Amino acid sequence: MLKVNDLGYWYDRQENSLFEHVNLEFKSGNSYAIVGQSGSGKTTFLSLLAGLDKPRAGQIEMNGEPINKIGLTNYRKSKVAIVFQSYNLLTYMSPLDNLMTAMAITKSEHRGDKEFAIKMLRQLGLTDDQMKKNVQRLSGGQQQRVAIARTMVCDAKLVVADEPTGNLDEENTKYVIEQFQKIAHEQKKCVIIVTHEPDVAAACDHSYRLEKHQFVEET
Amino acid sequence: MNFFKRAWLNLTAKKGRSVLLVLVTSAIMLFVLAGLLIRNAADTATTNAKNSVGATVTLSANREAAFKKMRSSTSTSKSSKPKLTTSPVKLSDATKIAKLSNVASYNATVSTSANATGFSAISTSSSTDTGMKGMGGSTSSGSGDIAITGVTTTSSVSTFESSSSKITKGRGITASDEGTNNVVIESELAKEDSLSVGDTIKLKGTTGDKKTYTMKIVGVYKASSSASTQQGPGSTDVSNSVYTSYTFANTVKGSKYKNTADSVTFEISDPAKVSAVKTSGNKLISTSKYSLTTDDSSYQTVKSSMDNVKSFADKIVWLVAIAGTIILALIVILMIRERRYEIGVLLSLGESRWKIVAQFFMEMVMVLIVSVVLAGFGGKFVGNKLGDQLVSQQTTTATTSTTSTSQGQPGGTGGGGAPSGNTGGSKPSGNMPSGRGQGQIGSTSTNATAKTDLDINVTVMDLVELGGFGLAIMFLSIMLASGGILRLQPKKVLID
Ligand SMILES: Nc1ncnc2c1ncn2[C@@H]1O[C@H](COP(=O)(O)OP(=O)(O)O)[C@@H](O)[C@H]1O
Ligand SMILES: [Mg+2]
Repeated sequence: MLKVNDLGYWYDRQENSLFEHVNLEFKSGNSYAIVGQSGSGKTTFLSLLAGLDKPRAGQIEMNGEPINKIGLTNYRKSKVAIVFQSYNLLTYMSPLDNLMTAMAITKSEHRGDKEFAIKMLRQLGLTDDQMKKNVQRLSGGQQQRVAIARTMVCDAKLVVADEPTGNLDEENTKYVIEQFQKIAHEQKKCVIIVTHEPDVAAACDHSYRLEKHQFVEET
Repeated sequence: MNFFKRAWLNLTAKKGRSVLLVLVTSAIMLFVLAGLLIRNAADTATTNAKNSVGATVTLSANREAAFKKMRSSTSTSKSSKPKLTTSPVKLSDATKIAKLSNVASYNATVSTSANATGFSAISTSSSTDTGMKGMGGSTSSGSGDIAITGVTTTSSVSTFESSSSKITKGRGITASDEGTNNVVIESELAKEDSLSVGDTIKLKGTTGDKKTYTMKIVGVYKASSSASTQQGPGSTDVSNSVYTSYTFANTVKGSKYKNTADSVTFEISDPAKVSAVKTSGNKLISTSKYSLTTDDSSYQTVKSSMDNVKSFADKIVWLVAIAGTIILALIVILMIRERRYEIGVLLSLGESRWKIVAQFFMEMVMVLIVSVVLAGFGGKFVGNKLGDQLVSQQTTTATTSTTSTSQGQPGGTGGGGAPSGNTGGSKPSGNMPSGRGQGQIGSTSTNATAKTDLDINVTVMDLVELGGFGLAIMFLSIMLASGGILRLQPKKVLID
């Protein structure tokens, strides 16, 4: 569903490009891990897939349509859901309001459906009490569960995550990995996770290593 | 309307910050409101002044033209003595002018004098022997010790209008006194001669047939104490001024003065229309013989003092609005910096930038609503304090500037004493020796009316106007600050 054609990116004051001539394809129902050394350009690559930045060279196609044609704001709204290392929840809201807000912004088919949001939060192990208090009063693991629930209530078929387990303990990491696999396999979405943790990479269906400006599939 | 809900959630979640915003906004709104209130009150005061403060147009002999004529005759025939020839005003002209629109009423004034017979006039050190020129026409009238002011009604004489002269016993002269020998005398004279309402006195004419008239006292008035200080040289004491019907004064002056007056003063119902009345009035009279002079100085005094208050209030409104916009814009800019993370989250969810701007605007509007209500409570207080201060300052300066200029007005009785030839009473009369004491009484002007209080009240309309101003301020601040939102790269959220 997502195709990367001849993609290239470099920052203004950098001598070499981070990556060049990248050709990859990501399919729905699959989970992908992107690994590589710190500073190799994984986050930068993900930001291109997430429509947060424009590539310097090449293009990204979503179901055959170049994403710059869809419009990056539009693309972010309806095609992609993003999970960050630092959760990126709206800090002045409860988990429930975070989900309701995301559903409203993305015009999810479930928008306005509070019961659905509650069901999703419960599925991810939040108590009714927790989902109504301010998100900043939850633990990191709980906040990341809210962020994952947020991707589940939105219609986007592509889920990208940048180091989603980076701030979590072992137990929460395991739980989060499981959820991402469920999203890929049960909801039939395409999940792309940037990580430096071998456990996370191993849990995914495919794994690419960014090395020497190129993505190499690991087996 | 999702941004509306976000705005509400944000304000209620960050209570401390919201309270601070409300306080800052309330302070700004309070000053804007104070300015608006003063401006509106000044508007109302000006309108009220229009209705309550009188303006007049006076018809009298055209002395300027008469002087010109006299001078030209002097230059051509140096041998003959120059003679100032002015014509008394014809009442038929006056009734024509009275029919013009905006003329509310008119008052004819005839000045003359007579000698007290069988009672004594109040004597002053300057006595009565100075040769005074008669005002009423070409014949110089001899001077009597009692100054007679013939009027249509005393109530429309400016000194009575401004309450510097007051009827203390009996009644004043009215239109029904026409053709009678009724008289109103001054209280000092009444005391000196033990005279009272209902008594009769005798007056002997000094011109014409020098007849003796029996007068019936119908009222006693008290002249203002300040009038006596304005005595010119050679005038009699103010207490020797009596008021009669203008018909009696004409009788004393002689038969040829029948149906004439030294001057006729018209009350104008709308002070703003004074010059219009003058223009149409000039078409009805022979301008070479007569002239119309306007006096709306009291109205102008109030108007200019209120204009000053208004322009000051306008400045307050604008200054505070501009300062407020800058302050709020700075606050919003700081707030947006602090909320970059949140903006990034919203952008990553695919929210459009204008809706994020709309959310911040909504938040400020909610703050504004609370602030306008708070300012509404405080506005009356601040407005009153500021308004009082302003009015007392403005009226002091305005009054000082008019007292020096308002003397030129004929003032209802001063027939010849005031230089009626100049227009609008705007030229100072200088210290031209007045022919008669009563001429001076008439010219004590009506400065008392210039003191106008501002009535400061907070109405719903004021709050709506304030809200409008607030909205504009908020809109501008958000626009100034929104550059930060519009430029922010959503990727920053991911990288940091
Ligand atoms: N905005 C930027 N401007 C310039 N250089 C940047 C910027 N963001 C990241 N970089 C650099 O680009 C390289 C790749 O960064 P990043 O994509 O975050 O790597 P990774 O996620 O693999 O650690 C790093 O060397 C980083 O310093
Ligand atoms: Mg990274």
